[in-house]
Amino acid sequence: MHKGDLNISIDKLSKIEGHADLDIKVRNGKVEDVHLKVMENRRFFEQAVKGKPFEGVPQLVSRICGTCSIAHLTCCIEAVEKTLGIEPSPQTLLMRKLTMYSLMIRDHALHLYYFVLPDIFGLDSVLDIKDKEIIHQSLHVKEAGNNLSNLIAGRAVHAPFEVIGGFSNLPDKKKISSVISELKSVRKYVLGLADIFYNCNWKLERKTNFVALTTSDFSFLEGVIKSSSGSLIQEKDFWNHLQNVVVPYSKASGFEFEGKEYVVGALSRMNLNKENIHKDTKKDAKKYLDVFPSNNIYHNNLAQAVEILHSIDHSIEILTNNTFKKEEVKKPPKLDGEGVGVIEAPRGTLYYWLAICDGKIRYVNLVIPTAQNLLSMREDIRDMVSCLLEEGKSEEEIKKEAEKIIRAYDPCMSCASHFLEINWI
Amino acid sequence: MAKKKRVGIFSFTCDEGCSVFLIEIFNKKLISWLDKIDLVYFLSVKDKREIKDFDVSLVEGVISTKKEKEEIEKIRKNSKVLIAMGSCAISGQPSGQRNNFNEDQLSEIKDDLKEYDYLPKFLSVKEVISVDDEVVGCPIDKGKFIKVFEKYIYA
Repeated sequence: MHKGDLNISIDKLSKIEGHADLDIKVRNGKVEDVHLKVMENRRFFEQAVKGKPFEGVPQLVSRICGTCSIAHLTCCIEAVEKTLGIEPSPQTLLMRKLTMYSLMIRDHALHLYYFVLPDIFGLDSVLDIKDKEIIHQSLHVKEAGNNLSNLIAGRAVHAPFEVIGGFSNLPDKKKISSVISELKSVRKYVLGLADIFYNCNWKLERKTNFVALTTSDFSFLEGVIKSSSGSLIQEKDFWNHLQNVVVPYSKASGFEFEGKEYVVGALSRMNLNKENIHKDTKKDAKKYLDVFPSNNIYHNNLAQAVEILHSIDHSIEILTNNTFKKEEVKKPPKLDGEGVGVIEAPRGTLYYWLAICDGKIRYVNLVIPTAQNLLSMREDIRDMVSCLLEEGKSEEEIKKEAEKIIRAYDPCMSCASHFLEINWI
Repeated sequence: MAKKKRVGIFSFTCDEGCSVFLIEIFNKKLISWLDKIDLVYFLSVKDKREIKDFDVSLVEGVISTKKEKEEIEKIRKNSKVLIAMGSCAISGQPSGQRNNFNEDQLSEIKDDLKEYDYLPKFLSVKEVISVDDEVVGCPIDKGKFIKVFEKYIYA
């Protein structure tokens, strides 16, 4: 084992969303400090939205994050609607579910194929994988999600059709059947992908608290927030259970849930709500679903693969069983109020708290999934590095393992650098 | 066979929406492009990184710190062709929205600005270096991107 001192630094972690650095300080063979530093330069959205007319704000906050722009757009729209008393129509809710599913398919596929698979194959890049079939499959799966985004929301990044009160465009009837066939055609690839993560023997178990918004059809939109510690919380009350924790040397802060670190994301959703996964997914992915609940953080990857399949299966059902009719976009009955929107973004629970006064934004407070996972990620790295030091592993090996853990959480640094430091007045 | 073009993709301060969208454009185009290009720098896809000898560099985002300014200058020096991707790189917005803040908004961010070496104004890529071409949009327009990019990789 290492007896001495080590300073391990990774400048600009690759294959994650956004910019982050990692510093690990080892003194006398013991991990003294882990600094996971969000190095994303801030763009000050919290200040920029203040005083803006509410109509344009969802499209503006969509620009917080290119990867999960649809999650910010959808959550902000929900918060505006709750604030101003707009009740979305059943058709709008169905289309929102499809929009979220298109995001999950693309975003999880990007993470699993492009960011994680190279670690499994021991390569630098997915492009280096000898079996080119996997690259083809990754492109097909992502394109199926991309085309679903195009059909329902107009585009995969900064989707133009999803608006406050409804959708500005109807899906093109002529394209629906080809999107359904494309989704069906990639199911087998997703099952193959799940199998890779099922057979992967990476293990890092640590008792922690899993938190997620649980929905009755696993659609990421409306429900009750649950924790594995037994809490049951309404969306509007979520903030009361959170504590903001400053992370030194970082351009983001972390959160505790009911006084302790916790984990959000696909693993939490699967641990807390797998009974509501789509029946077709349950049938074909039973083996993988049986893995959950799991305390192994690497099973976040398997959980994401199962969520891709669920998103495909529920989308196929919605698209097959519904016809979409022209509807007016709903207008708000009032222009003042306060409201909360909570959804499950790909990386976990996303929370928007808005106040609108005379149609203008008075303030916004958001809680980002990656900020919620920050403390837990840090503790996992600390535990793992301590073990590796015991085993006498080299600095290079420690770096690689630390990166693997960070990638398992699928962090998004573009998002994490945005939160409001609230001045309680 | 002609030598493959060395391509780098770089993200400065922004939401990385253009490069995420570019990865969606890849779905249909990557396989044929890989006959023509070597993707030598793209942190979303690979870790190996050396800023050297790029035939085509694609750059998104605004330049917000001194460090970023030095980086983009280095990329410029090492690129035969440099293409600005998206509205941040071309016009400085939306990521440079702090440039338009009023006094109240500025007073809220002044501690941050001091702590982290931010430039007095966030700059578009075009304000810092010369670019050879550009693709507009937020995110980039798919058709235009393919047209501009292929002009250089098939040259």
